[in-house]
Amino acid sequence: MPSERIFFMQGQLSKADVIKRLTQAVCAGESGLDAADVLAQVMKREEGISTTLDTGLSIPHARLEELEGFKAALAVLPQGVEEPAGPHLQIKAMFLFLSPAKQMFFQRHLQILSQLAEIFKPDFISSLAACHSAAEAAQKIAAEE
Amino acid sequence: MTPTSNQPDSKSPLRVKKVIVLTTAMLTFIPFWKAAAIVLCDFGSSAFYAGGIAMRAFGPAFPWFILAVMLFAGVLLAVYVESCSLFVRGGVYKVVRDGLGDNSAKFAASAMAFDFLLTGPISSVTAGHYLSGLINSFLLQFGAGFEIPEKGFSVVFALMVTAYFWRQNVKGIEESSGKSAKIIAFSLAVCFLLAIWSFITIGLRGVQWPPLALQFSPESLGWLEGLDLHKAIGGLGMMIAFGHSVLALSGLETLSQVYREIEYPKPQNLKKAAWLIFAFALLFTGGLTFLSALIIPQELIAGKYNENLLSGLAMSLAGPNILKLIMQTLVVVAGVVMLSGAVNTALIGANALLNRVAEDGILTDWFRKIHRKYGTTYHIINIVAVCQAAVILVSRGDVYLLGEAYAFGVMWCFVLETGSIIMLRFKRATEKRDFMFPFNIKYENYYIPIGMSLVFLFLLGVAMVNLFTKQISTVSGICFTAFLFTVFKISERLNAKKANTMFEEGYRERMNTASASDLQDVVKEIDKPNRILVAVKDPDNLYHLEDVLSTVDADDTEVVVLYAKPVENVLLRQDMRSNASDENDLFTQVIFLAEKYGMPVVPVMVQSNDAFYAIVQVAAAVDAQDIVMGVSGRHGSNAQMERVVMAFSALKEEELKHPVTARIVWEGREVSYRFNK
Repeated sequence: MPSERIFFMQGQLSKADVIKRLTQAVCAGESGLDAADVLAQVMKREEGISTTLDTGLSIPHARLEELEGFKAALAVLPQGVEEPAGPHLQIKAMFLFLSPAKQMFFQRHLQILSQLAEIFKPDFISSLAACHSAAEAAQKIAAEE
Repeated sequence: MTPTSNQPDSKSPLRVKKVIVLTTAMLTFIPFWKAAAIVLCDFGSSAFYAGGIAMRAFGPAFPWFILAVMLFAGVLLAVYVESCSLFVRGGVYKVVRDGLGDNSAKFAASAMAFDFLLTGPISSVTAGHYLSGLINSFLLQFGAGFEIPEKGFSVVFALMVTAYFWRQNVKGIEESSGKSAKIIAFSLAVCFLLAIWSFITIGLRGVQWPPLALQFSPESLGWLEGLDLHKAIGGLGMMIAFGHSVLALSGLETLSQVYREIEYPKPQNLKKAAWLIFAFALLFTGGLTFLSALIIPQELIAGKYNENLLSGLAMSLAGPNILKLIMQTLVVVAGVVMLSGAVNTALIGANALLNRVAEDGILTDWFRKIHRKYGTTYHIINIVAVCQAAVILVSRGDVYLLGEAYAFGVMWCFVLETGSIIMLRFKRATEKRDFMFPFNIKYENYYIPIGMSLVFLFLLGVAMVNLFTKQISTVSGICFTAFLFTVFKISERLNAKKANTMFEEGYRERMNTASASDLQDVVKEIDKPNRILVAVKDPDNLYHLEDVLSTVDADDTEVVVLYAKPVENVLLRQDMRSNASDENDLFTQVIFLAEKYGMPVVPVMVQSNDAFYAIVQVAAAVDAQDIVMGVSGRHGSNAQMERVVMAFSALKEEELKHPVTARIVWEGREVSYRFNK
């Protein structure tokens, strides 16, 4: 996870706000990706089965036809963002994750989801929130992998 | 697999809130020989009275006909095997309803209820005769100088046995299949001893084969008496004699009741059970009746031993009296136990039958009223027991009278059952059958049942002949059947609205639930090394469960079937909404499939905000190697798999002890993901 894709977000934010900002960050500089279109696909996926875990991690994602590789961005949310589908869940970290739609990538897609869910436990998310910079957070993540 | 916390976690809004283990007696399955033993406890008991009744009806040729009836039992067993292989739940009543329609089913149910009302009394009164005969043998042996009145004693004994089993059934105490197996093993040992001694006796005294000539008593010809039609029409006499012997088939229909309990592989085990039943019945009922005819003097068969034929065989053997008395004691013990078992089976059968009818809305709810303390349908049990007691009193201990009244129900049930299976060959032509009665002609999609049609015609012929010859049976059978049929019709009208609702809903398994304090309580139910967790939600979407049940090895694999019921104020309400109106519908279907494949399952229901969390949490608790789900038409398999993968990994705290595979299965397709160690 490159440090330029890691964001510390403060203030009153909704889940949709965070997804939108992460989508824009991922799509920036990617010529084949239209941020609005990607956002629509991510939000559509969010309407289905939840991507938020009780560890405080949310992994909104989409599988896109135009992609040939995996793209991601991370938001660390020390103040927490409420999960709209469940009033008792607070999102402390959000990992926006885009993967190729081709079936051959699906197992890898699942592996990444599995790794993220396994690594981003409450203690680890708290330690990320305590980081002073995106670079430090990136180092922590690399160490955990 | 590494469990995380198995306790319902109140801190997390997503994890399991409450654990409920569902229990039902039908979820344990029995081997084929135990199933055969249950059937034989009823079917085999006719050996104790069929020969005596047949002798009184048409004379010394009776052993040939009892033997022929036992051979014919093999044919009927084959019909029942095909019937069972269709797995129409609810026995003869439901098979006839599917095959021939509602009115025929009501007629079949009425006839069968009449059969049950007589099976109990004929069995208990016969047991009384065997017991009183033994007591009299002892009194004679020790020179008491008096005898107890056999008929009076039999009535009192029969009432006591009926009262005992009435109480047991009201309390819901079931006789175990293991007990049935022990009874049959003991009876087989007695039969073996009796047969060996009989052959020695025959060796000493020589043998005179029973005649084939028929000597009908006036009452055995019924309305045909004086017409001498049996002399004019070839084969009619044989049909009449056969009709007087068919009561030896009593209890055969129990096979369709025990079929749901037979273990995997069900079709093969059913065939083995049928063969075992056939062999035992042929040797026990056919063989011992034949030996009785060879050894007991004719005048004693018609007189002293008419109502306790096998006691007569024991007492007519060559040897010292005291040894014969011991042999008679063994015979009587076997007889009393088997015949008493048949009384119980008749009560259970009648209760089950009327419950099936009530479930269709044909009987009002009053009949299905549940006993507050014992949870049994005690109104039905009370009615059946009172009717049986009335029959015992009316018979005044006369087994022949009961035998004459008998056979109406059993014959018409066989006729309707066979007719229904023939109809189902056309109505359900494409349905897979594990067994088909032989002699068929294939025409397009149909297997035209030539062999079964011949059986049907023969049964219909015998039933029609019986209508004319067995007067008591015809009058009492028609009156009772017409009465019950009318009750069904009137109840159905009164209950019309409810009936339609219930008919649409279909049969529902009555669930016994037990709250578990945590998931460890579920683990206690599991002792096999391999575990598969099958998540279920929609009773109409259980292909994945069927896929597991049809392939898994029950010897070393436990199948845990989980329904994660959504709680109020759920997270992700749209995901959790179940198509099932409630868990009863769902688990009724689960149990139906478990019984269909003869595979035991552990049904568990948990309450949770998030079904996927609940699934992986229970999978962790039971240490499942496989997690199997059906596909959701709303979200699709990929989104489901993503959520399972995320939830499983979020719960995981340590290294896995073994790989775990999550599978989403639907017709012809599967998506899977393997969590490695």
